[in-house]
Amino acid sequence: MRLPAFRFRSLGTRMAVLQAGLFGLTMLAVSALIYAMVGQIGGRAVERQMAASSAVFDRLWQQRTAEMQGSAGLLARDFGFREAVATGDSATAGSALANLAGRRPADLAAILRVDGTVVGTLDGRSRADVARLYEALDAGRLSGVARLGGRPRQVAAAPIMAPVLTGWVVFATDIDAREMRSLETMSAIPIHAGVILAEPGEGGWQRAAGAFELTGKDSQAQVALSLKQQKAVVLGLSGEESIGFAKPLGTMVEGERAALLLHYPRAQAIAAYRPVQYAVALIGLLGVVLVMAMTWRSARRITEPLARLDRAAGRLAEGERIELVVSGDDELARLAHGFNRMATQIEEREKRITELAFNDVLTGLPNRAMFKRHLNHLLATRGGRDGAVAIHCLGLDQFKTVNDSLGHGAGDALLVEMGERLGAVAEGCFVARLGGDEFVIVQPLGGSRDGVERMAAGLIEAVRRPTVIDGHHIVSGASIGVAIAPDDGADVTTLLKNADLALNRAKADGRGGTSFFEHSLNERAQARRRIESDLALAIERGEFELYFQPLFDLEHQRVGSFEALIRWNHPTRGLVSPAEFIPVAEDNGMIIPIGGWALREACRHAVGWPDNLRVAVNVSSVQFRRPGLSEEILRALANSGLAPHRLEVEITESVFLEGGEATLRLLHSLRSLGIRIALDDFGTGYSSLSYLQSFPFDKLKIDRSFIQALITQPNASAVVRAITDLARALGMETTAEGVEETEQLEQLIAHGCSSVQGFLLSRPLRAADVAKLLEREAAIIRAA
Amino acid sequence: MRLLTFCAMVGAWAGPAVAGTLDVRVTDAAGRPVADAVVIVRAVGRATPLPRRTNALKVEQRDLQFHPFVTIVPVGSSVSFPNFDKTRHHVYSFSAPKKFELKLFASEQSRSVTFDKAGVVAIGCNIHDQMAAFLYVSDSAWTARSDARGVASIDGLPAGAVSVSLFHPYLRAPGSVVARSMTLSGGRQTAQFAVNLRAPPPTMRHGY
Repeated sequence: MRLPAFRFRSLGTRMAVLQAGLFGLTMLAVSALIYAMVGQIGGRAVERQMAASSAVFDRLWQQRTAEMQGSAGLLARDFGFREAVATGDSATAGSALANLAGRRPADLAAILRVDGTVVGTLDGRSRADVARLYEALDAGRLSGVARLGGRPRQVAAAPIMAPVLTGWVVFATDIDAREMRSLETMSAIPIHAGVILAEPGEGGWQRAAGAFELTGKDSQAQVALSLKQQKAVVLGLSGEESIGFAKPLGTMVEGERAALLLHYPRAQAIAAYRPVQYAVALIGLLGVVLVMAMTWRSARRITEPLARLDRAAGRLAEGERIELVVSGDDELARLAHGFNRMATQIEEREKRITELAFNDVLTGLPNRAMFKRHLNHLLATRGGRDGAVAIHCLGLDQFKTVNDSLGHGAGDALLVEMGERLGAVAEGCFVARLGGDEFVIVQPLGGSRDGVERMAAGLIEAVRRPTVIDGHHIVSGASIGVAIAPDDGADVTTLLKNADLALNRAKADGRGGTSFFEHSLNERAQARRRIESDLALAIERGEFELYFQPLFDLEHQRVGSFEALIRWNHPTRGLVSPAEFIPVAEDNGMIIPIGGWALREACRHAVGWPDNLRVAVNVSSVQFRRPGLSEEILRALANSGLAPHRLEVEITESVFLEGGEATLRLLHSLRSLGIRIALDDFGTGYSSLSYLQSFPFDKLKIDRSFIQALITQPNASAVVRAITDLARALGMETTAEGVEETEQLEQLIAHGCSSVQGFLLSRPLRAADVAKLLEREAAIIRAA
Repeated sequence: MRLLTFCAMVGAWAGPAVAGTLDVRVTDAAGRPVADAVVIVRAVGRATPLPRRTNALKVEQRDLQFHPFVTIVPVGSSVSFPNFDKTRHHVYSFSAPKKFELKLFASEQSRSVTFDKAGVVAIGCNIHDQMAAFLYVSDSAWTARSDARGVASIDGLPAGAVSVSLFHPYLRAPGSVVARSMTLSGGRQTAQFAVNLRAPPPTMRHGY
């Protein structure tokens, strides 16, 4: 398990605590040592005192023995006394004894004659006491401890020689509490004294005098040890640990043992040194406090510059420019120098990163991010005033073509060239590249909006000027969408989005134009998003329906085929125009399932028609780009059982624009199966006649704009004529779309158009109505 | 006492003509010969002859000692105590058979004391504690002292039952005397006494 680490917020605190902790530990160890030493010294002092006391006691003991023996001897040698004792004159002997005892007080004084009789006070009421004493004296033991009358006494005796041994003069002194106390007073410390006795044999030591009890369980052994080695021991006395010293004393009775026991409570021995221990503890405590304070002070000298660095680093992190004042040349000063160097380098690097971040690497123009910053800034500073800002979103036409045909290098060169031109034209304005072929020009407009169109025209003009790249003459074009702040939006995102919508509109309207943002554009964009989400479910819900518009074969004067047209029955919005949802489906890929569905549905219906009738189905360029289109078509034919020559696939020029070789191969393979290929909307866009050369279409469908122009524009007829002639020359049929007027029909017939399609003949019909039409036609034919 | 003397006199007359010798060998507990032991033989059931009285016995004081240490004194004899030391001596005895004091002040001064009661008389000097001597006042003619070999020989002993007593100043026995009964055959006989002796008092310089 890992202990949760305690962390200090401050280096100074940590150093102070660590050092003080270390010092404290050391002090603790020293204190413990001193404590132990003091305890030992205390013990030793007591031991020494005991040794001294015991020596004193020993001397006193000897002295008293000598004194008593001297007195006894003196008496024993007295001629008259000897005579009295020898002749059995007890009265005389007793008086002499009393006389002497009166002079030198002894507790007991007596004469013990060799015949066993006692004269004087021996307190020997017990005959056993007298017998033992006699035995000891007879054995020549003239001094020592003896138990007389149940109490221990110091006994000294002198033989009475007359000249043969006739008896002994015996003196005895009590060894009692009083005696012990007097001994205690001789010691420098209040040592307690006592006498212990042991009976002959294995008898243990027992207290004979003194105020204590041998309580410790190893007291006997300790006493024996002290006696043997003449040193102090620790033993339990009266229930407390004491330092004891036992000194052997001579005994009268052989085998009996006696000892002086000096003792002193251990706790008391150490107590004398308690002040020393307190002093050591106090000094240790003061030391810790002092060390803590000093460490704190010295740590602050280091941590203060560090704290300054810390604060500076914090400010640096917030992007502030920081320079530390450096003094001295120590490690901290070097650190500060290093910090200053780092701050400078960070600043330089930041500048470089900013450049990279806000500039387009290719053109060197500001990028999208920079544009946003700039516009934000502009909007913020101009917000209060009347100043409007125009945002020109410029898209290069043909850029993709250049990129594809001449390579990316040429594309890049074109972008650089255009960037330079735009910058030159929009002098004083902010020019940025948003990415791809899109540029943006921010034009501040004082009070008037007049400059906007001029600027847009100037920009388009600049782009249109031919340029030479890698030896290729390139004529480029541009479309511009304009949004004006604050009318078209107050923030960058909205303004850019709206300008983009306007640009899309400009592109849709035909390349090379300028479109201003209108709110309807925005609404359309929203509608488009709604369509996108609804489209995903439309197939499942069966909301799509195929309508069929007949194409009237002018040559055979009958309906030759039907064009399948998709209709969307939206549950809430009703019928939705294909012009509205097809581009959306093409953009988000939904065209794939929708197109597939239309193919299958068209084949399924067509198989029920008379064999001479074909069905034409529009196939989007998006479908061509995805693999599996031919399989899709073959499956639709196989599943429905429709003969391939009855199916006509209508494509637009965009198929070629985006497809290339693979598309051509696919078209050829379809045609080889017998499927007819028609080129739709012929004449619009940028299609060139080279397509016609590269692929043998079965039919050209002349765009409705030419048909409509037949009525309004005098030279349109020539164009239509040229197309029909061209088609005829190439062996292709022609179909005129959008025929609404009889006049148009007459001209088309005159120009030799193969077939016509339009409201003049029939609107697109529901599948069920196709049969009715055919019936009516049959009736007309029959009538004719 | 008078009766005793009388009996002894009678015994001496009526004693059997056949005489024997008793050699008493005295050793201590360690088997070493003990000198200065007094052996007394008394007839049992008959009178014991009294020893012949004499006045020639001397206990000299020389070099702060009594010489000899033990002296056998026939009852009724006088013993002189000549002082050959330069110091004074205060010879005394507290013994029951004869209590006396002799203050011998001058060199060569001699005084006599008559011992007319049988028994042991311990003699000391009141001035010099180490000085001690013993007189065995005997009422038996058959009394002898052991020599350095520990042997005491007594002649002229009749056959028959006798008691043999042994005295030594330091004998560990009541009255410092042990006794035993023997039957003498009239020839030369030997008796063995192994005795237990006390250590001599520290003031004593005598060996034994």
